[in-house]
Amino acid sequence: MEGLFDYAPAIALFPLAAFVIALAFGNYLPKKGAIPGIVATGGSLALSLAMLAAVAGGEEGYYHDTLYTWAAGDAASEVGPEGIEFTFGILIDPLAALMLVIVSLISFLVHVFSLGYMNDEGETGLPRYYAGLGLFTFSMLAFVYADNLLMAFMFFELVGLCSFLLIGFWFRTRSAPSAAKKAFLVTRFGDYFFLIGVIAIAATFGTLQFAGNDSFIAAAEAAIDGNEQLFGFGAETWVTITALLVLGGVVGKSAQFPLHTWLPDAMEGPTTVSALIHAATMVAAGVYLVARMFGYYALSPTALAIVAFVGGFTALFAATMGCVKDDVKQVLAYSTISQYGYMMLGLGVGGYVAGVFHLMNHAFFKALLFLGAGAVIILMHHEQNMWKMGGLKDKAPVTYWTFVAGALALAGIIPFSGFWSKDEILYDALIVGLEEPLILAAYAMGLVAVFFTGFYTFRMVFLTFHGKPRSEAAEDPHGVGWSIKLPLLTLGVLAVVAGIANLAPVYKLTGIELTFLESWLEGGLEGTTYVAYTELLGDVYDTGFIGTESTTVLIAAGLSLALAFSGAGVAWKLYNVPEPVRHTEKLGGAYDVLRSNYYQDEYQVWLAEGLTLPLARAADRFDQTVIDGTVDGVSTASLFGSDRVKRIQTGIVTNYAALLVTGFIVLLIVLGILGGWFV
Amino acid sequence: MMIEALIAVALVGALVTFIAPNRIAGKLAFAISLIPAALSLWMFTVFDGSGNALLDGELAFESQMEWIQLGDYTISWFVGLDGISLPLVVLTTVLTTLAIMSSWTPIDDRESQFYGLLLFIEANLIGVFTALDFFVWFIFWEAVLIPMYLLIGVWGGPRRKYAAIKFFVYTNVASLLMFGAFITLVFGLGDAVTSFALPEVASAMLDGGPEGFLGVGGSTLASIVFVAMFLGFAVKVPIVPFHTWLPDAHVEAPTPASVLLAGVLLKMGTYALLRFNFTMFPEQVEAYAIPIAAIAVISVIYGAMLALAQTDLKRIVAYSSVSSMGYVILGLIAYTQFGVGGATFQMVSHGLISGLMFMAVGVIYNATHTRMVTDMSGMADRMPVAVGILVAGAFGYMGLPLMSGFFGEFTIFFGAFGAEQLPYSELFTPLAMFGIVIVAGYLLFALQRTVFGPYHLETDYEVGRAPLHDVAPMFVLLGIIILLGVAPELIFEMITDAVDPILENGGEL
Repeated sequence: MEGLFDYAPAIALFPLAAFVIALAFGNYLPKKGAIPGIVATGGSLALSLAMLAAVAGGEEGYYHDTLYTWAAGDAASEVGPEGIEFTFGILIDPLAALMLVIVSLISFLVHVFSLGYMNDEGETGLPRYYAGLGLFTFSMLAFVYADNLLMAFMFFELVGLCSFLLIGFWFRTRSAPSAAKKAFLVTRFGDYFFLIGVIAIAATFGTLQFAGNDSFIAAAEAAIDGNEQLFGFGAETWVTITALLVLGGVVGKSAQFPLHTWLPDAMEGPTTVSALIHAATMVAAGVYLVARMFGYYALSPTALAIVAFVGGFTALFAATMGCVKDDVKQVLAYSTISQYGYMMLGLGVGGYVAGVFHLMNHAFFKALLFLGAGAVIILMHHEQNMWKMGGLKDKAPVTYWTFVAGALALAGIIPFSGFWSKDEILYDALIVGLEEPLILAAYAMGLVAVFFTGFYTFRMVFLTFHGKPRSEAAEDPHGVGWSIKLPLLTLGVLAVVAGIANLAPVYKLTGIELTFLESWLEGGLEGTTYVAYTELLGDVYDTGFIGTESTTVLIAAGLSLALAFSGAGVAWKLYNVPEPVRHTEKLGGAYDVLRSNYYQDEYQVWLAEGLTLPLARAADRFDQTVIDGTVDGVSTASLFGSDRVKRIQTGIVTNYAALLVTGFIVLLIVLGILGGWFV
Repeated sequence: MMIEALIAVALVGALVTFIAPNRIAGKLAFAISLIPAALSLWMFTVFDGSGNALLDGELAFESQMEWIQLGDYTISWFVGLDGISLPLVVLTTVLTTLAIMSSWTPIDDRESQFYGLLLFIEANLIGVFTALDFFVWFIFWEAVLIPMYLLIGVWGGPRRKYAAIKFFVYTNVASLLMFGAFITLVFGLGDAVTSFALPEVASAMLDGGPEGFLGVGGSTLASIVFVAMFLGFAVKVPIVPFHTWLPDAHVEAPTPASVLLAGVLLKMGTYALLRFNFTMFPEQVEAYAIPIAAIAVISVIYGAMLALAQTDLKRIVAYSSVSSMGYVILGLIAYTQFGVGGATFQMVSHGLISGLMFMAVGVIYNATHTRMVTDMSGMADRMPVAVGILVAGAFGYMGLPLMSGFFGEFTIFFGAFGAEQLPYSELFTPLAMFGIVIVAGYLLFALQRTVFGPYHLETDYEVGRAPLHDVAPMFVLLGIIILLGVAPELIFEMITDAVDPILENGGEL
């Protein structure tokens, strides 16, 4: 089994090859490059599964190898070796293996789905589309098994590029290029902090390795234990600062408050791309990074608490906005922001397993929902407004039932996958929150968000599929083929059953060991295992119970279930009627605030166009007038001066004679004064 | 004699092209330029030098002979290569060849003179990067100005006369300042030097520095010379506030001249700063670290802000050069291996990327006859390949990983962040790094307006796909940019080898 790992680079290289083939020859290929993409991602999936098996069956339980040195040199670090090597390497431990499977599976299904989705539209840019998907998958897979922070950063940025290319796929419109620019720019703003973090960590510890004895995480732990001073700060403060800098990139990519604004706009891309971005690639990259270097965050209680708080707040904040959207993709967009908030909350309260668990479940059900929305959009002849849908339930049963499975998972209804992971996150948050007031606030926000999640999810389901058809398209929907149904069915099954991976409440209540994911994450390299994290977290958080552990489990699960059901129930009452109406007047002024997304876009656009651009124009005016004016002034002055001096040259001999005599006399007088003749 | 061969081929080629018929001049110049390009690439593969050319390094392709005896001083023909100059020589030869090819479409007037001047520039640029005697070096340095002046003044846009004269006078005055300062330094060094050979001057400087001159004490003299030379080179780089000649020159210059101007001529300034100021004056570098780092940061941010305000594609790229050169200065002043090495790498990388950008903008201009952002949109619809390369180049400029720009910037930032001899380096570095956000802003904004969106053009031209010979040079550049981004050690190793001796005298190693 271990020999298999030699093929690990191919996991990412397959889609890269597909990218090159689609770009260069796509126009000459049948299906315009879809086939190489499907073959490549299929190959990646098969290899990833093999890696998963090798990690599970191997003696060491991980694979870590340096591929080559990108750059090496001498650099003094605060604590650590004198030289530094920036390398490319592969780290496949249980976490990475799991994520590789998720990413390649989703990407494979998205490719298959695209056969039916993109070809129906008579699109001309298909080679560009499949090339983009290939590059996207390559970047994400390479990011996932990067063994060091710099390599992770590099592919993190490439993921950003790919999102730019795919969100702006329909570049002939005005809105798509604008959304693409926004996505790159907002995430680049986050990556600015990330890059400072990477550099600061490298300059501090002289290494950027994620795992092993020479990892920056181990070095940071040693520095904290040794009470070192780093860049004039105490070691723990410095770890907090750098961890938060890296978090900047996470907040950008995973669309957390306040850098979430790019994500709803990114719906301009093809729906398949949204599925890929939201479930497995771009947005997932941020949270995955926190999980990847969880040991580093676990060293800093402050950083962890901030992660948790940002997550809890974003979960609630985005969920409320999702409740008033009319476009089916917009609802899903806000649900993504909200769900990643949950993952951040989970990781922030130390629920490493819960966070990773939700990352996995969310990948399945969100890909399902987006692809389902894509199928709906085809059914509806490219109509995305839910108020023009209705009644699709009986006309498209596969789409409907799979969509409902995804919706139940998203809303967190037992026993669908989303319930198990979201419940675990909330439980972890609750037990920490009982001791730490700040975390309790984060928990409360996450809990309230459950209600809104249930509401907007089922509002979407009822408006789309139930009631009477509200447009011609809804009365006579377009059919969908098997390339669309198969991915939906695959993901539908996963959305129902994936929860089995970690039935933590069952274990806590009955003692039956059904926590496979937890045991899975306990393996791997020393220092990056769940066991090691638990040990670290012991120093960070105290936990408490309401009564006993069992009662706490029951209370937590009961609360979140009750809220999810009541949210869904309100949606049922309001919108599961033959001819639903908006009911927005009940919200009063709050409706405008929600519709305007809390004016988040307005202030960010103002920062760019109202502040930076006028500043740039002022700088330009200053440059043209003052700086360049000085340059021209010097030149004009010297021209003017020489023009005056030139007039002495009159060409008249007597003038020259007069000047000569005057000059001679002046010279004599000067010499006379200096020589003392007149004394 | 390899270096002489390089220069001679370009010089003779310039003469031959000058008298060749107009209609074959372009192809002829291209064919001739392939010789130095191939030769320099071969030199790159067999390069066996080590250390720094000025600091007792093993020179590659060294050649030295006495030329003129001037009083107590000997002037020699002295050329050679080390790990800093070789990549710049290869950059020069390759970029010249590609610039010649990119001229085939736009240049349709007095072609033989045009291509002759391009080759003449190449010869002088190779001279600048290889000469190790101040006199020889200065002759090449000044001789570069003449063909560039003519290229802008004859083949340029509507305000070409103003731009050409501004370029010539501004950089020439700066050269005069630098020349005077260096001669003063040589006299100040007294008996310690008997020639203008740069290694000799460098070792005299490091062995005790000047005794004094005209009543000015040794260390004061060194400081004055350092500042004067810094200002002289600052115009060439250009560093804010001496940058205003650059956008005018770029806007008026024909595309190939812009390619060489941004790609190689600006690097003369940073190369000279590294060779003179940062090699010979370690004490002054340390003493002036804060002001120099401050103007580096100002160049980065102010240059980027200016780029943000422009609506002419060429002006955008021109101002972004000011910004990128600020990174180079930051890397140099960091005085660490990664800082100075990264700065040198960035010189090469920026040469490639800015060359690519000017070519891409030129291709669009050839088709549309406008460069105004407000005049066009949706160009990707009509010229997908050229626009694809433009987009790739723009992301290269933004420092996308796996392209050379990222390596240059990352190493500079990393080298500067922990730099011990630069006070407040942990503050200067993040400030300068904010440039990577602004650059994404103005380039993406420009792309969104011009190449994306529905197709629209204000001018009356039919836009079709760009011809192969317009696109091919850009593909070559893009290939090199990606190659150096994936495998930067190809040149970074030789660069750091040549940088290390500098840092042994000052800075950190």
